[in-house]
Amino acid sequence: MQKLVVIGAGMASGRLLEQIIAANPAAYDITLFNAEPRGNYNRIMLSPVLSGEKSYGEIVTHDDAWYAENRITCRFGEKVVSVDTDRKVVIGEKGEVPYDKLVFGTGSSAFIIPCPGHDLPGVVAFRDLEDTTAMTEAAGKPGARAVVIGGGLLGLEAAAALRLRGMEVTVLHISTHLMERQLDPAAGYLLKKDLEKRGITVMLEASTKEIVGNGRVEQVNLADGTELPCDIVCMAVGIRPSVKLAQDSGIACGRAIKVDAQMRTQTPDVYAVGECVEYNGALFGLVAPLYDQAKVLAKTLLDEEETFVMRELSTKLKVTGCDLFSSGDFAEGEGREDIVFRDPARGIYKRLVIENDRLIGAVMYGDTADGNWFFGLIKDATDISDIRETLIFGPSFQGGAQVDPLSAVAALPPEAEICGCNGVCKGNIIKAIEAGATDLGAIKATTKASASCGTCTGLVEQVLSVTLGDDFVLPAAQPVCGCCDLTHEDVRRLIKVQELKSQEAVWQELGWKTRNGCHVCRPAVNYYLLADWPLDYTDDPQSRFVNERNHANIQKDGTYSVMPRMWGGMTTPQELIAIAQAAEKYGATVKVTGGMRIDLLGIQKEDLPAIWYDLNQAGMVSGHAYTKGLRTVKTCVGKDWCRFGTQDSTGLGIKLEKKLWASWTPHKVKLGVSGCPRNCAEATCKDIGVICVDSGYQVSVAGAAGMDVRETERLVDVATEDEVIEWTTAFVQLYRENAKYLDRAYKWVAKVGLDWVKETLADDATRRALVERFDISQSVYQVDPWAERAQPAEAVKFHPLADLTKEAAE
Amino acid sequence: MDTVIDARVKTFIQVTELWIPDGDRLVLANGNYGDLAAFETATRAISFGKGEGLPGKAWAEQRPVVLKGFDGSYFKRIEAAAEAGLTSAVALPVFDEDDLKAVLVVLCSDSDERIGAIEVWSELDGLMMLDDGYYGAAKHFEWVSQHTHFPRGQGLPGGVWSARTPMLFRELGSGYRFIRADSAGKAGLTTGLGVPVPVPHDRQFVLTLLSARGTPIARRFEIWDARPEKVGKETAAILVDGICERDGPLWTDDNDAPPRRVTANQGNIGKVLATGLPVILSGAPALTEGYSAMVALPVYQGGALAHVVAWYI
Repeated sequence: MQKLVVIGAGMASGRLLEQIIAANPAAYDITLFNAEPRGNYNRIMLSPVLSGEKSYGEIVTHDDAWYAENRITCRFGEKVVSVDTDRKVVIGEKGEVPYDKLVFGTGSSAFIIPCPGHDLPGVVAFRDLEDTTAMTEAAGKPGARAVVIGGGLLGLEAAAALRLRGMEVTVLHISTHLMERQLDPAAGYLLKKDLEKRGITVMLEASTKEIVGNGRVEQVNLADGTELPCDIVCMAVGIRPSVKLAQDSGIACGRAIKVDAQMRTQTPDVYAVGECVEYNGALFGLVAPLYDQAKVLAKTLLDEEETFVMRELSTKLKVTGCDLFSSGDFAEGEGREDIVFRDPARGIYKRLVIENDRLIGAVMYGDTADGNWFFGLIKDATDISDIRETLIFGPSFQGGAQVDPLSAVAALPPEAEICGCNGVCKGNIIKAIEAGATDLGAIKATTKASASCGTCTGLVEQVLSVTLGDDFVLPAAQPVCGCCDLTHEDVRRLIKVQELKSQEAVWQELGWKTRNGCHVCRPAVNYYLLADWPLDYTDDPQSRFVNERNHANIQKDGTYSVMPRMWGGMTTPQELIAIAQAAEKYGATVKVTGGMRIDLLGIQKEDLPAIWYDLNQAGMVSGHAYTKGLRTVKTCVGKDWCRFGTQDSTGLGIKLEKKLWASWTPHKVKLGVSGCPRNCAEATCKDIGVICVDSGYQVSVAGAAGMDVRETERLVDVATEDEVIEWTTAFVQLYRENAKYLDRAYKWVAKVGLDWVKETLADDATRRALVERFDISQSVYQVDPWAERAQPAEAVKFHPLADLTKEAAE
Repeated sequence: MDTVIDARVKTFIQVTELWIPDGDRLVLANGNYGDLAAFETATRAISFGKGEGLPGKAWAEQRPVVLKGFDGSYFKRIEAAAEAGLTSAVALPVFDEDDLKAVLVVLCSDSDERIGAIEVWSELDGLMMLDDGYYGAAKHFEWVSQHTHFPRGQGLPGGVWSARTPMLFRELGSGYRFIRADSAGKAGLTTGLGVPVPVPHDRQFVLTLLSARGTPIARRFEIWDARPEKVGKETAAILVDGICERDGPLWTDDNDAPPRRVTANQGNIGKVLATGLPVILSGAPALTEGYSAMVALPVYQGGALAHVVAWYI
């Protein structure tokens, strides 16, 4: 096994070791040197440790157990004296270690201003736990005073922490505003104000002349003569890469150890990572690029390809209650434009810098919610010209208002029934969750909710989410459309559970994001409402597709087709005469359809009421060839005429059609009744097919002969016509009450399972209740739409607003 | 989720209850009474008008109220409390500007073993002074606290006051050499939660809950930030700080991972976001991070819900 020696147990080398071990734990025999007597901890979290808002234990990233578990030989508290790259050995205070690969992770040290007194006891940096402990100790004296030199990130975090520790704190900053590398003057002003509210004194353009004290720091004297008595001085004016060991070892250095994009130094088998490296002339102080470097170096050491790429960085200050964010370049310059937002009452300042339709810099104070979004735009150099006007208001403004997708389910009372199949209410599901059923499978097992047809699965998952919070990951569901966050199944179920009986109620209670839906959701919601509440809800023609609105199918030339119903495919000479006369009168093309009817094509829209009237006069009604409803009932001639016929298939077909016509369904419904298994009516590829046999009738469902071709599956065998009608009606009603809008019966059955359908309909009471509800619906909807629209008051709606045949006078 | 409940410990707070306005009365919305069924029964029979009893006083005076010793006081359930061994209570009004959303009441019993602190600090002449507090057997710490004040930005009360945000302090007593910290350490106080208490008038209040290991106020603390400035327009909150005896630190370093985020109606914190009311939940460890009870308290700022603090026991 190759020997890897790492010098320095900082955040970059810690991440490097994690990456190597995760990828190949057997790749290296690792020795880790660290001058500090401890392993890796999250150094950037030292500020909250200093303030008392975190404990040291919380920020340890690798404890002794981790090093032991990963068989890393730790030489903590031991300085590396030298490195012999010829012999490939690292020489520590306690002896030498050979290496095959060597990584410098020596980090950086604080820059100490070389003013008189800088080396007095009581002058500390803010780099490690020792510094933190020294400051905590100093804060122990009642009334103790601290001077923090440096108004950058680290200095201000130290200042706020020392203040929380109870010290009188003064910040000295050489520049005209705080954090001038990350903030512009306006944000710097707000930050200063915020710190002063915490009782911290901030002195800008303050130049330290000397630190004085008798054996220990006692006072800081400024160039302008100001004297600041103090018990401790924290120098936080910058960092310097720690490269002396590398330089002494003959590793090529500039301002730091020079590395290439694979983190290789110019010495074979020697690498560097973290704050001690220089890449393309750049030095690094923030943690994000260090992690990137660690990832690259891990790959390099594992002989994989990877390249370090410099990226944009963002800055946040870890002072509780101070919200600032900065990223990119916000210096003024030719061709650059600013967008500024200020809210003085709330202390909010946001500034965006734009150049060539790209966001290149963002500074935010007080409101940082959109910081990451702006950071993304900067990183990706996104063209923002389309959203420029509203850019400052962030992503929410671009995408419209946010709504809460869980609010509808959260609002349900405990007694609301979530699972209709098994009668499980919300309260029962919550009790099961409380008892430990924390996923869908456990809920199914313990309550039976969602265990049958499964259409309430989405709702059960939402109850899990409402109850468990983010411990339950809500699966992504396909909403009805962009107007809402609920699936069709959820909407259906909630309309029932919450007894929503109007479109307005649905929009409001189910959190619709639009005023009144769109062309996608309105027809679905209209259908769900009329199917569930036939006596309370009135069908809304404006929520229907054009063919349903006009009760005729529009053709490619803009004319319409008219198709009268022929019950069971039977007609009479009188009906045929009337059809022929109408065809002649309105110039129709006549076509016999596959559904055993006659289609009159080429009818002008304005003629529709008249032709309907004429056909009505001959006793014919709409064939609903345009609806999501019952289309045809195809029959064979049956036993009255056919030698093989076993039952009166035509008569049964007519009875079924007279029962079911004009009912609205999720999608079109076609029936077939064949008088014998020879199946001349092709009943086994219909939504519902009946095959007559000597012993009675075989009812099968869920066939298709369109884009998909499917044979029906047997639902039930029954002995009488009445039973056929009852089962068929109940099936249609079950489909009406449960299916997603625009799902054909075969698709719906595939979702809920034929077993569930059979089980549900096999229950006599349930089946009869379904038929009863169907009959109630038909008491409202079984009317001929042609007759209604042939009335003069309605007919006028079919006339064009202008006579387009006339030419304009010139 | 780990729902194994640890062995029962003596808790510093015996009863937590939530009163909400209903017309001109405060009615009981929810409560965690533990084994004190008789006290619960007595409580369920009553409601409070403005100024009546402890919750009504907090409502009328628009401030947190500490009541130590019920005998002869305005406390309404003296007999039931005596039978249950309850001797002290703190009422915390939850205001959204002028609008009273709820009153949270905690009740404690005197015992030589029960150590902890529930303190109400208020601003006077530019300093946070102890308004009152209940300390159980931590008598020395009580005395020290009565003689301590905090300028802006100093200590837990001064920090919460100046930052206008809840704060969570660890290792009270270790590393601090202040006399109050020293005394806290000696009393065994480990974790401190400070919460701003906004009221309709200008006076500033801060509530602190200081928990000891032996008789904890809580074994898990969470601070959620729900301000739009932090979470955007969505009704949501992110977990900005927290510590748990079982799970350790609950915060995340955003260089590694984004913080936990919940939206309205997602779990207990989501319920607070959605309703704007405190949540008290007990007897369902699957819903309370494996602990037997939890309290989630909304903190309003500028007419909107700004933070949620939660503690679990």
